[in-house]
Parts: sequence; C-alpha cells; structure tokens
Amino acid sequence: MIRKTVLLHCDPVRAFGLFTERAGEWWPLDRRHTGDRESEIRILATGRFFERARDGREVELGRVRVWEPPGRLVLDFYPGTDADHPTEVTVGFAAEGEKTRVTIEHRPTEASAELFTQRNALFEASWDLVLRAFAEAALHNR
Amino acid sequence: MHALDALGSPVRRQILKKLNKAPLSVGDLAEKFPVSRPAISRHLRVLEDAGLVESRGEGNRSLYSVRIQGFAPVREFLDEFWDVALARLEELSKR
Repeated sequence: MIRKTVLLHCDPVRAFGLFTERAGEWWPLDRRHTGDRESEIRILATGRFFERARDGREVELGRVRVWEPPGRLVLDFYPGTDADHPTEVTVGFAAEGEKTRVTIEHRPTEASAELFTQRNALFEASWDLVLRAFAEAALHNR
Repeated sequence: MHALDALGSPVRRQILKKLNKAPLSVGDLAEKFPVSRPAISRHLRVLEDAGLVESRGEGNRSLYSVRIQGFAPVREFLDEFWDVALARLEELSKR
C-alpha cells in the first residue's frame, strides 16, 4: 500500500471541495490522459470521475465508490493501470486545529494485485527494453 | 489497453525502439516496416492509449515519441503521482 499525508491550510469542508471540485488544479500536469495540460478533472457525487480536455474529449479516470463529505472519499482509480485492473484510493480529511490532515491510502484491488508489485516478469521485460533503449540513445547522442 | 498488453506485440516493440532514437511520423515508420500505414497508425494508437508514446503536431503531420514515464512500474508511478499531486494540493490550499 502507498500511504501519503499532507497538511492543508484550510478546514475539512474546503479541503474536500479543493480535492473534488478543483482536481484539475492539483492533478500532475504530465499525467493528463487527454494530453491537454489544461484539462478539467472532475470527481462528482454522482459517481463519475473523469478528465475532459478543452476540445471536449473525455477519459474516465475511475469511479467514486464512497462520497462522504467532508471526511472521506473512496475512488476506483484507473491511471497507471486501466478500467479492468483498477486500484483503490481512500482519501481521509481530518481537522488538526485550523488545518486539515489529508491522508491518501492507495492499494491494489484483487484485479490489480499482480500489477501493483514490481516483481512482474513483464515489467522487468519492459524495463529491459527501456534500459537498452537508453543505452542506445546515449551512444546515438554522443 | 494496459502497457503490458501493448508491449505484447513484436511490431510495437520494434516501433518503440525506432521512436526512442528519434521522433517519427506515421509515414517515416511505414517506410521502415513491411506493414501498411493504417496498420502503423493502429499500433501507434494502441501505444498512445497505453501511455507509452505521445504525439505532437508539427506542420501538417504528427510526430510520435517515446513517453518514458509510461514504463514505470505501477506502484512507482502511483507513488510519484501522489508526491506531485499532494504538493500541488497544499499550494492550492494556501491561495
């Protein structure tokens, strides 16, 4: 499991709102599936979790499993794998004085358990490819 | 399609090796392989959907290049994702 926390400079209600309504502003720019760095990312109470490029193209990024503002959110998560092999993200929001502790717990599901670990022969094969490619590129650029 | 499935095809692995040396268009690749342009386009679409290559428009053609972060193992990919995401979220909460 991956566990990460951060302390936000606001109360849990605003923290939950920033996480869900303004996801396009915190989602890493180089991890946009539409290729549009200014795409919108929406995490909705209806259950949809998707990205929309400025030209209207949409990509599903997962599903909202649990929507419990302002304390808890659980998402099926496709980036890194795909819809057939989702991982699961639990996001907790807890007041700490005037601030909010956000805790991310990111786990594999049964479908993605094998993919999650690095001891996958196919991943090693792909690393092999990358390393060889790097070596070739280094020679090429010399 | 997942990166692992995309890498399952020998032609796609060969395409990746070519693209790693220099960005190429569909036409450039079609000259190097004994397969049709539409077939090359289909392979590129699979690689692009899997996050292994990216395209950018240059003049009236698209140039394809290898997207190195697409090769990271899932756990590492997600770990880095949250490091960047949470740092950005913290910044957002200060505004």
